Amino acid sequence: MSWLSRFRNAVNPQRLDEDLGEEMRDHLERRIAALKESGLSADEAERQARLSYGNTTRLREESRDFRLWTGLEGTVQDIRYAWRGMRRAPAFAVTAIVSLALAVGATTAVYSIVDAAILRPLPVFKPDQLFALSSPDIHDQGSPAGEDRTSFSYPEYLRFAAVSKGAARLGLFGFPNRVEAQGPGPQAPIEKINRAYVSGEAFDLLGISPAVGRLFSAHEDRIPPPHPVAVLSYEYWQRRFNSDPGVVGGNLTIEGKRYEIAGVTRKGFFGVEPGKFVDVWLPGTAYEERALAEPEWHWLQIIGRFAPGISSARLEAMLQPSFHEFQVNAVKQFPTIPAAIRDQFLRSTIHVRSAAAGVSGFRETFSRPLWIVFGVAAGILLIACANVASILLARSMARASEMGMRVSLGAGRMRLVRQMLTESLLLSIMAGGLGWVFAWLLAPLLVHSISPADDPVQLVLAIHTRVLLFSIGVSTLSAVLFGLAPAWQASGAKPMSMVRASFGQVGKLRLGKVFVSIQVACAFCLVVAGAAFVFSLGNLLRVNPGFDARNVDVLGITTDVAKSDDPVAWIATHPNEEARLRNLMFQLRDRIASQPGIQGAALAMWPIFEGGGWSEPVVIPGKGPSEHEEIFYRVSPGYLATMRTPLLAGREFDVKDSEARGLAPAIVNEAFARRYFDSSNVVGREFSYGKSFHRVVIVGVAADADYYDLRTSADPILYLPTEGLNSFTLYVRSPLAVGQVVRMLDRETRVLGSGMRVRDVTTLETIVGNTLTREKLLAGVGGACAFLGLLLAAIGLFGLLSYTAGRRTKEIGIRAALGARRSEIISLILKEASGLMTGGLAIGLAGALAAMTVFRSLLFGIRAVDPFVIGTAMAIFLATGLTAAWLPAYRAARLDPMSALRNE
Amino acid sequence: MGKTNSAQSALDLLVLTILERRGPIHGYGIATAIQDLSQEALRIEEGSLYPALHRMEEMGWITAEWKMSETGRRARFYRLTSAGRKQVLSESEQWASFTAGVSRVLRHA
Repeated sequence: MSWLSRFRNAVNPQRLDEDLGEEMRDHLERRIAALKESGLSADEAERQARLSYGNTTRLREESRDFRLWTGLEGTVQDIRYAWRGMRRAPAFAVTAIVSLALAVGATTAVYSIVDAAILRPLPVFKPDQLFALSSPDIHDQGSPAGEDRTSFSYPEYLRFAAVSKGAARLGLFGFPNRVEAQGPGPQAPIEKINRAYVSGEAFDLLGISPAVGRLFSAHEDRIPPPHPVAVLSYEYWQRRFNSDPGVVGGNLTIEGKRYEIAGVTRKGFFGVEPGKFVDVWLPGTAYEERALAEPEWHWLQIIGRFAPGISSARLEAMLQPSFHEFQVNAVKQFPTIPAAIRDQFLRSTIHVRSAAAGVSGFRETFSRPLWIVFGVAAGILLIACANVASILLARSMARASEMGMRVSLGAGRMRLVRQMLTESLLLSIMAGGLGWVFAWLLAPLLVHSISPADDPVQLVLAIHTRVLLFSIGVSTLSAVLFGLAPAWQASGAKPMSMVRASFGQVGKLRLGKVFVSIQVACAFCLVVAGAAFVFSLGNLLRVNPGFDARNVDVLGITTDVAKSDDPVAWIATHPNEEARLRNLMFQLRDRIASQPGIQGAALAMWPIFEGGGWSEPVVIPGKGPSEHEEIFYRVSPGYLATMRTPLLAGREFDVKDSEARGLAPAIVNEAFARRYFDSSNVVGREFSYGKSFHRVVIVGVAADADYYDLRTSADPILYLPTEGLNSFTLYVRSPLAVGQVVRMLDRETRVLGSGMRVRDVTTLETIVGNTLTREKLLAGVGGACAFLGLLLAAIGLFGLLSYTAGRRTKEIGIRAALGARRSEIISLILKEASGLMTGGLAIGLAGALAAMTVFRSLLFGIRAVDPFVIGTAMAIFLATGLTAAWLPAYRAARLDPMSALRNE
Repeated sequence: MGKTNSAQSALDLLVLTILERRGPIHGYGIATAIQDLSQEALRIEEGSLYPALHRMEEMGWITAEWKMSETGRRARFYRLTSAGRKQVLSESEQWASFTAGVSRVLRHA
């Protein structure tokens, strides 16, 4: 109450002063009136009244001290003063605030993503006690090691849980997958959701409670699960079922199987993988029977919680013997395994790593690019700060005489610094607020830009909590960065030298040059990085993938003959169904291919470029099993024609090829032929593959094509004829719109029956584009930031040159009067500009080269010291610098010598 | 803002007591009341009453509001709060023991 009134009075001291004055006046008037009544003259009454009242000013100051917060009053004065200063120079204020706000906004937006994906602990009970198991990647000789393996088999999970009993609790956490779900009721729409398998104890392990109903328990770990049940996420329950508690006990159909809804997790829990929100959890035991039995089937992650006092090293030691045993058995299972890979298996160790922030595939892919983008944004911030600092510096020089006056009136240096810092803080707070709003708009856009359309990246961008603090911190830091030096300089004003002309300015100008050099160096680094990322993306887009991705629709088709998470495994156990399904598939293909506007159609087991793959070592007669496992891909007749991959020799598949038993016909690509036969004349050659030595004969040779991504040079591929599958991919080449093709397919699948329908719709260009999200992010953000940095640096350069040219008016006037030509004066200013830029460029070049070595692995077709990239950056930079310098130079050249001299 | 001198605490006690007995009253009223009641024995510097009032206001013992006075002009009227009432009790006790102590010394010295 009382501090509130003191606060109010400090903010608005005028009211208080009026109050105090009025109360005093009132008292005096009453006293005078009373004295007059007692017979005194008016003058005498007033004299006595004043005498008995005492020293009015001192008493008023005393009251004032009680009733307002003096420290705050000074600050409020400073803020008022700063505000008036900004109002006086609105162009400066707006430029400074907007440029800083952009920089703070960019930094904050990226930080909010880094925070959500990488830094923030999971919203679960004591997340720092959580760990995840992993083991080093096992990779081909010569190729670099990939990310650690975090997937394990069900038997491994059971064994690890058993041997670590007492030291840790382990839980099974499947990877979230996009699947189809249908709520209760026959009319409910089918929609794509994220499904993850977990063990019965998983929720309890994380300390997650139900919002409604119950969660899983050890009961669900029995095989087969007694009763198929599902748990919904709070967010899905809200979105899909309007938070209706009545859904518990209802049915949810997932991939054709029915589950009873057991309960809903508490609010705010989205699984253990930042980047993906799980909508529905199923018990791990509801997964494929074989997945629960086979130790080769790696499909789950293991996350656990340490018992008190257990270290990760201790737990690793407990798990290693069992892990090694599994590795030994795995090697035994594959007699054809190359020796180098066998050694890696046997030497492999198990790692226990912290899972406090969860486990995330998104993080694996994007953590380095995100940190780079974060660095780029920080570079922009630095440029913006240097920019504002140099403008403030210029302004403080303009205010030098004011400062001199204040110093000579007795203002303390700290008081002046405080006041100038208040000004920069006010700027940065406004910029911070605006930047935070920018971030709030920008961050979801950034996330969206790296999200594939059908499997969006979902992050809790807690823009209002830690991110807000970050924003405030960054703004304050930047205020100190750009405010302190000019403030210190300005407050050091020597009253006498201010009164005499402007000495002591040399030092200040040097500081201005430092700021411009910082801007030039940072901006050059940004331009080099931006150019490298843009060229890298360009290089990737120019890669010939070996197929023509334009006008190809990729359609996922399912039948409800039998549902299975692993179609290939299912086929092996259902030979009769295979022929029926194959027949259906071929009928669909033929019907589509004969439609008007369709240029080609072909079937395959899954789409290329989506990570799906099947690889086997091959055994060439007379040689041992191959060192490498090669890509195997089952396709239908017309695949090469539809993809426009040239057939170099032999023939494409025909329908009868799928029925071949024993010796299977195969098409290999050139890379395959070169690697195993040293020739492309290989039609008719035979070899075998796999554990059970399936025999194949080459019937055709295709041109090289990429399979996983555009980055690696064409991999050897072996094409085999397609088998009947209950879920497969149809490629359709057509200039028609995707919607038209889908309508056509809907019609045909209805005719064919068997529950055949279109499940996923996309285009080959989209699929290929999705493998470039990292590059697109870096090129987009890098390019935009390079542009912004360049613009800010140009403004800074322009500002300083304008200022120095202005200061040299007299000198230039004399030169002009003595007969200097315009070109000489222009070159005078340009020389100064190049002098300003050289230092910054040299530092920037060193910085850029250092940065390139860090980015290197994320770039495609760019050398660490790439003359093209550096040259382009240099050219862009010089052009910008010249433009920024031209206007001040031109203005100087047009100076009329007489008026220039008279001005002084 | 602890009180250190007895003159200040005496003034506080006088003001608080007057406010307690006479209800809402303005600064001038308090000043004349002190003079009249003490039969001019206590002559205070009238102006120093106001910083004391403002200090006690910040302490939360009294509150003030602008009201129309009997002469039809705006005046700042002070009123005791419940915290002020407690303060009157404890201060008058202290004062009583202080004066009792002083008079004992005067009597027996």
